[in-house]
Amino acid sequence: MIEKYIAFYKIIAYLQKKVYNQKNCFSEELMSTVAAIGTPHGKGGVSMIRITGEDAFNVAGRVFRTANGMPFESHTPEHTCYGIFYDRNGEFDDGISVLYKAPRSFTGEDTAELFCHGGLLVTARLLRAVFAAGALPARAGEFTKRAFVNGKLSLTRAEAIGGIIDAVSNRHLDISSKQAMGSLSAKIDEIIQSLVSVSASVYAFIDYPDEDMTDMTPDEMRMRLLAIKASVDSLTATHSYGRAVSEGLRVSIVGKPNTGKSSLLNMLCREQRAIVTDTAGTTRDVITERVEFYGMLLLLSDTAGIRRGESEIERLGIEKSYEYMKKSDIILAVFDGSSELDDEDNEIISAICKNGLADRTVCIMNKSDLGAVSASPLERCVVMSAKEGVGVEALAGEITAIIGASDVNSSDEIITNARQYAELCKASEAIGDAIRALDGYTQDIAGMDIERALGYLGEADGRSVSEDIVNEIFSHFCVGK
Amino acid sequence: MIKYTAEQFDVAVIGAGHAGIEASLACARMGVRTALFTLTLDLVGNMPCNPSIGGTGKGHLVYEIDALGGEMGRAADEVMLQSRMLNSSKGPAVRSLRMQTDRTAYREYMKKVLFATKGLSLVQAEVTEVNVEDGRVVGITTAFGAFYPVKCVIIATGTSLGGRIIVGEESYDSGPDNTLPAKRLAPCLERLGIKLVRFKTGTPPRIDAESIDFSLLERQDGDSEPYMFSDRTHKDNVLPCYITYTNSETHRIIRENLHRSPLFAGEIKGTGPRYCPSIEDKIVRFPDKERHQIFLEPMGEDTKEIYLQGLSSSLPEEVQKQVVRSIKGLENAVFMRTAYAIEYECCDPTQMDATLEFIDLHGLFGAGQFNGSSGYEEAAAQGLLAGINAALSVLGKEKLVLPRSESYIGTLVDDLVTKGTNEPYRIMTSRSEYRLLLRQDNARTRLMPIGYLLGLVSEERYSRFREEESALAEFIRTLTKTSVKGGEALDALLVDRGYEATGCGMPASELLKRPGITVDDVLALTGLEVEKGIALRAEIEIKYEGYIKRQLADVERFAKLEKKMIPPDFDYSKVKGLRLEAIQKLSKLRPESIGRASRISGVSPSDIQVLLIRLARGGKE
Repeated sequence: MIEKYIAFYKIIAYLQKKVYNQKNCFSEELMSTVAAIGTPHGKGGVSMIRITGEDAFNVAGRVFRTANGMPFESHTPEHTCYGIFYDRNGEFDDGISVLYKAPRSFTGEDTAELFCHGGLLVTARLLRAVFAAGALPARAGEFTKRAFVNGKLSLTRAEAIGGIIDAVSNRHLDISSKQAMGSLSAKIDEIIQSLVSVSASVYAFIDYPDEDMTDMTPDEMRMRLLAIKASVDSLTATHSYGRAVSEGLRVSIVGKPNTGKSSLLNMLCREQRAIVTDTAGTTRDVITERVEFYGMLLLLSDTAGIRRGESEIERLGIEKSYEYMKKSDIILAVFDGSSELDDEDNEIISAICKNGLADRTVCIMNKSDLGAVSASPLERCVVMSAKEGVGVEALAGEITAIIGASDVNSSDEIITNARQYAELCKASEAIGDAIRALDGYTQDIAGMDIERALGYLGEADGRSVSEDIVNEIFSHFCVGK
Repeated sequence: MIKYTAEQFDVAVIGAGHAGIEASLACARMGVRTALFTLTLDLVGNMPCNPSIGGTGKGHLVYEIDALGGEMGRAADEVMLQSRMLNSSKGPAVRSLRMQTDRTAYREYMKKVLFATKGLSLVQAEVTEVNVEDGRVVGITTAFGAFYPVKCVIIATGTSLGGRIIVGEESYDSGPDNTLPAKRLAPCLERLGIKLVRFKTGTPPRIDAESIDFSLLERQDGDSEPYMFSDRTHKDNVLPCYITYTNSETHRIIRENLHRSPLFAGEIKGTGPRYCPSIEDKIVRFPDKERHQIFLEPMGEDTKEIYLQGLSSSLPEEVQKQVVRSIKGLENAVFMRTAYAIEYECCDPTQMDATLEFIDLHGLFGAGQFNGSSGYEEAAAQGLLAGINAALSVLGKEKLVLPRSESYIGTLVDDLVTKGTNEPYRIMTSRSEYRLLLRQDNARTRLMPIGYLLGLVSEERYSRFREEESALAEFIRTLTKTSVKGGEALDALLVDRGYEATGCGMPASELLKRPGITVDDVLALTGLEVEKGIALRAEIEIKYEGYIKRQLADVERFAKLEKKMIPPDFDYSKVKGLRLEAIQKLSKLRPESIGRASRISGVSPSDIQVLLIRLARGGKE
């Protein structure tokens, strides 16, 4: 079901912009009929244009004529129909039309999908014809928003679909697919239920002060709240990993020349990208590579070797290296572990320490195949041979440790979405407030904080959402999803 | 029966219980000619259950009724036997006042007030018909064939409407306390298209005080400085209450006789309140509980009757006696009134709007148990609102809606008319999401201006209220301006409350903000003097300022959606994208605003989205 629609979501933006130069105001246009190209930008065998809204069938009928001469209206929903595409200037292509009758469509509205040949020009012409026939260009996220508004999707599932489309790594795709099936909703629901039960005990006691009820003492309440906070926190803690999976980690590879930085980069990329020679100082520019590494997306920057620069170009490269280091999530400091560390190595280490980057740095004692001589100068260290591929797993372990994701299991719910992360953080904070209120204030105040936390959890899950949030979310989707 | 046309009134109120009294007083005081119909003139303002007014959430309602110019708070104050502030340690939002009252004195007080009210006639008669023409109320008819032409009718029939008392295997048609039941009105209401449901409630036995060994019981006295509901009366505690407990023997007797309970034998079909269960219900549902508390309340100064709260039952009388006599201190109990269950007819309140008027029957209002609620206070609150709105309607003025963000009365009414109820509805502090704002201590601030504008609060009372309000504002200002000098006294206090000594001074309001520091501490350190009530209110406003501000922000958000109005003739069936369930619920309840629509069960956030979008486009396709 979901996979079926993934392909529809990559839309040609420039065509949209030609027709639509207004600001995003789609909520007012929501009930209009809109269209967009559903297949990816570029040349391909087939392109698909999707039209949704009350007038979708009429619009499709104005650009498509059945090949067998039957009237367009007789076209059976959910069946393919072969025919000819035409516009004011005449027929220009042949292809397939499929109709989905509301509510049996992705958006929950009448929907038509037109499949033409996949050339850029022919696709553009068909789209123009569809607009001329009365459809408006679909806005960012509009198809999914309509599906949400029509009750076809929950918010977390809608967001997960966004994740599927935007997936940059296989892990990201896995997580998004799982959440699109409702797994995160279930987890949040579990937390909501336990919080509701604490809240109910508080109010039972407050509303029935005379009943001989076993009072939930502030201590018990604190214990239970702490446990609930811990499970919210364990969800939010996955966001660093979730971000690593969905947005990627900026990784700088630093080290004096000829320690094997490029071999490391190559090992991570599993192909020869950077030029590797034995002459020191060959890599001068910062090279950025996107690689998937143990589920995480790494944005690798192999910097110029850091050494006492002799030429102007090298000095520039070295300055750039330091700049990159400071912006990185992870620094891989590469040393030749088969020989003693020298002044140049120490200079790099002190630069790392001076800039307060030690806690995000992994020392790679490279060339273990040539023997291990020197000990790591910093706490995090991996003895490896980039050339032989030794120590790769240990490196993955150190990286996950730095982003605080060591405890994240592959079966855990992973928070990849920044909005959900923010709501969950607020929920955790509100539960923390409730715990503090038990000390300084009174149970009724703690009860209010618990209700606030429930509100945030509800918003994280999309079961209670304000208009602003919905508009915000759906405007972040790429065009036409 | 030959019908004749009787006297003409503006408003007829059916039932002189707690709802009917407030409704008829409000109407008459607002200047519309009102007739209050009752089955027996000797039992107006009867308390067929607890001889007490207030309690958690309920105390809030009484303060609000009083602030709006209703009578219940003052009546309770006048006949108070004992006053206790509940939850005083659990926080300012949930402090609730409960008063034990003298039941007969309460009736006498209310009767006197009713008789003394100009423009209000009390009529003893059974109303059998509400007469409606073209969807509008035109009058009522009594059992003797008298047709009274009126413009508005308020139904406040309590448990008398189709009432049936059940005790063990015995049952008979009756209103509460063996009064006459109103048998013929319910079928008439159904003919008018009103959906009725059958609810059940119950009451415990009353026993002779002389037969109780009080020396074996825990005594519970009122507060040493009793609080009052109204600003008009001050009294001292008169009588104590007592506490005892059921035991394993009690539970055994009940279990062995369950088959004789009409509740479990299936004789009782009405839905009872979960929060006010019978003793047999408690034993069955909580088999692990070793004992249940029984609270002994005096019924009055001139009676020996003692009310056994917690022993509500519909078991046969013989079993009831065994149960009571198994309890410590009650071994020789002599019964004066037997416990009973009572079934009655009430309406589905979602047929009304937030003014308590029926959506499809102009001029017809409902209040109290008839609307599916339970409790004297809930009844009085609705009676007051229904009365105000009937009067406003007669006077041709815009009707009053109390938002749920501003009062418990508004919360109660909004819950009833928006969500409906499948058991007798009881107010609770947990029903309000704005409870830190809706406190007893600021009830007058919230509602007295409305009562004054309606003409229900006298000029004199209102000016006294204004003075109090400015005194409070002044005192809060003083606290922010006054600084507490640094030094030994301050440091000693800080250390005593678990803080570190500072050595330097701070503004009095900052000191008061600290958890554990009370306004009395601040007064002692600064030498400031102020009336106690004002000091306590200032303490709450300052100490909880952060939380109060946050709730005010919530209210603003709430108000935004409450102000997004839906046209009364809006056709939901034409809105594409609304789910069928939502269309049905919305078409039936016809919420006046998006805010209310969003609280209807069965209407999802995405339905609200669709509505918002449609309304933003002016309802056009």
